[in-house]
Amino acid sequence: MSKGVLVDIPKCIGCESCSVACKLWNELEWDPQEKTKTPTDRAKEPNNGLWPEEWTSINRYALKKNGTAVGRYVKTQCMHCEDPACVSACFSKAIQKLPQGPVIYDQKLCVGCRYCMMACPFDILRYEWKKSIPGVRKCQMCPTRVANNQETACTSVCPTGAITFGDRDELLAEAKKRIRSNGYVDRVFGEKEAGGTSWLYISDTPFEQMKFRTDVTTKSLPSYTEGYMKMTPFIGGAWATILAGLYVFNNKNKEPLE
Amino acid sequence: MASKAGQAKKLSRRSFLKFVGGASLVGVSLNLAGCGEPITAEKAVGGSGWMPAQYNAPGNWPTNVRGRVPIDPENPAIIRDDEKCILCGQCIEVCEKIQSVYGNYELPIKNEIVCVNCGQCTQWCPSGAITERDDTDKVFKALADPNITVVVQTAPSTRIGLGEEFGMPVGTNVQGKQVAALRKLGFDVVFDTNFTADLTIMEEGTELVKRVTGELKKPTPQLTSCCPGWVKFVEYFYPDLIPNLSSAKSPQQMEGTLMKTYYAEKKNVDPKKIFSVAIMPCTAKKFECQRPEMVSASKELKDSKVTPDVDVVLTTRELARMIKRAGINFAALPDDQYDQLMGSGTGAGAIFGTTGGVMEAAARSAYYLITGQQPPSALWDLTPVRGMQGVKEAAVNIPGVGSVKVAVISGLTNARLVMDQIRSGNAPWVFIEVMACPGGCEYGGGQPRASSPPSDDVRNRRAASLYKIDANAKLRNSHDNPQIKQVYADFLTAPMSKKAEELLHTNYISRAEEFVTKKSKSKLN
Ligand code: SF4
Ligand code: SF4
Ligand code: SF4
Ligand code: SF4
Repeated sequence: MSKGVLVDIPKCIGCESCSVACKLWNELEWDPQEKTKTPTDRAKEPNNGLWPEEWTSINRYALKKNGTAVGRYVKTQCMHCEDPACVSACFSKAIQKLPQGPVIYDQKLCVGCRYCMMACPFDILRYEWKKSIPGVRKCQMCPTRVANNQETACTSVCPTGAITFGDRDELLAEAKKRIRSNGYVDRVFGEKEAGGTSWLYISDTPFEQMKFRTDVTTKSLPSYTEGYMKMTPFIGGAWATILAGLYVFNNKNKEPLE
Repeated sequence: MASKAGQAKKLSRRSFLKFVGGASLVGVSLNLAGCGEPITAEKAVGGSGWMPAQYNAPGNWPTNVRGRVPIDPENPAIIRDDEKCILCGQCIEVCEKIQSVYGNYELPIKNEIVCVNCGQCTQWCPSGAITERDDTDKVFKALADPNITVVVQTAPSTRIGLGEEFGMPVGTNVQGKQVAALRKLGFDVVFDTNFTADLTIMEEGTELVKRVTGELKKPTPQLTSCCPGWVKFVEYFYPDLIPNLSSAKSPQQMEGTLMKTYYAEKKNVDPKKIFSVAIMPCTAKKFECQRPEMVSASKELKDSKVTPDVDVVLTTRELARMIKRAGINFAALPDDQYDQLMGSGTGAGAIFGTTGGVMEAAARSAYYLITGQQPPSALWDLTPVRGMQGVKEAAVNIPGVGSVKVAVISGLTNARLVMDQIRSGNAPWVFIEVMACPGGCEYGGGQPRASSPPSDDVRNRRAASLYKIDANAKLRNSHDNPQIKQVYADFLTAPMSKKAEELLHTNYISRAEEFVTKKSKSKLN
């Protein structure tokens, strides 16, 4: 059964327990500069507050609802697409989709080509530019927890039920129920977007006003990239040669190869 | 050495091969062959950290304590360092269960994160992640400016808390050392908030008598107004009971106002150059001094350059940090005296710092205000309102009036019970004291964190110290304070005179619009 998370935006109070849980569980570093940013600051950033060590971010949008000012907090992280573009972009199979839902990344297999970053329709992936052996970073949807019949770290700490872990099918039905009974916007973001995602969002304020990519295609992305991906063997081979050359060049003076 | 270097070279060569030659080409060929080895959950990055046990339950097992209290980055009283938070859930527990603030509004929230700034979460947070907003820099800056007269006041209960920061036993009275430390830090004038605690009794007591006699067309029971956390709680959740709140300002705000009017006039100091600091056991006081209506001196003097009545509030903990930063050997300081004019309080003023203290002080002076006679000694030891129970009741016999029923509450969840009773119209009390923090200010959100979690043991020891100050005081009734008599004779005329109303009383606003009232009694989700 494929798992998912339902994000009920109006239920979020912006406590940021979820992002602290993500840090704790994944042992992500605290950056003194990122730490001082507020959800309002992060909502204004082009990258939505996601960095190599920030796999999730709570962003606050100041909106108007029926003429009164309201604040809405949006949790951002990898959407865990049903048919992920990042996975098909990765020729070394370093990113894969687990049957339970999580789209995970094995750094040992990564060659650092960053095709996944270009392929992602939601601009989620981040590259560790500052590291000597950089990797690609993003939310993994706590695969070991999910495999152990535990919920994800972030959902386990949410005090309000704004984020709920469960079977994607059931969550989708629940989402539609809440849309009807709470008078939400009639759209489950993630039901069809990018061919469907494990994370689903519902809202009482327009998605467009909270930096959702509402124009994203509803077709699964790999079906588009197929032609492009057929080139992979060639590009991959060429890329490896270039990287090898660059590596030798860069390390020539520091560490001559034996 | 050499072998280590060689190893490093080998390693980097291996990783080079693995990362570029190996992985890439293997990956490419696997892709070509269309049969990549599926990676397992364990191979994913991350996932090797730690979470408190309550979050590691399988499936949808219900977890009672989840997450933490939301704190607005703009909160004037408290801040949180996310890096220190361990998601233990203590803050949300105290806010929801003890203070009944979190979870008492419908979702979605509107604009504001509902918080009464009481700071009890700072007391419960085991990792020190939640603290008061540090304002010491503003004070250091004012102290360094020779053109500014920095006037400071200290609340009744900072003197019995501060010592703990310097390793002294719980409840040690360090009044004299506190004054000495403030002088060493460079404060120009040191006043005692106990003076305006006495003044509050005169104003609030007079108001109560006027309500009871019908001279003032306002409802009873009268509710105390010296706790800004409690006042904000009423404004949020019981706006219909705002008329019951005494209009008297808190002692802090009275003292601040009088610094820039009475003191400035008597000592010929330019009120524009007075910087008024309050040392408080409380984080909510930081919110209170920023309330837009707390600018009575500026209004009275018709001078917009006069800054708010209280410029900065520092908690007991912040004062301790200042003393430590300045390298002052606190334990070795000789006792010093407050400056006079507004520097002495009675025993009644001192016990403001613990739950029941305001009521006991008020009972003594109400007796005098009604009968014109000194209260009997029974009112110097009003045991039913002492102690740590959340709701206490007493009946005070006043000749000519009869038995007057009063109640004393600490902790806001306890307050809800009584407020709901007032709403339903069957409240037998004429006067009710409420303090937001369990035990009152002595265990306020700004007091030193005891080495153990908040407990009645510590609260009782601190309270005992305050009652000892009262028992040993020469004067034990607010109306006997000579400086109180002087301020009325020289400046304010009489309690609730026009001038007293303008300077010492305030008004409140409903904050009910900030959220949607909770419909059911169930939890948020
Ligand atoms: S959101 Fe981006 S990174 Fe996440 S699974 Fe989809 S394509 Fe991959
Ligand atoms: S833990 Fe829940 S309520 Fe708190 S910020 Fe995250 S999603 Fe919102
Ligand atoms: S200050 Fe008081 S009301 Fe505000 S979050 Fe902390 S406990 Fe709750
Ligand atoms: S009490 Fe402190 S450590 Fe515990 S959840 Fe709250 S902020 Fe985090």
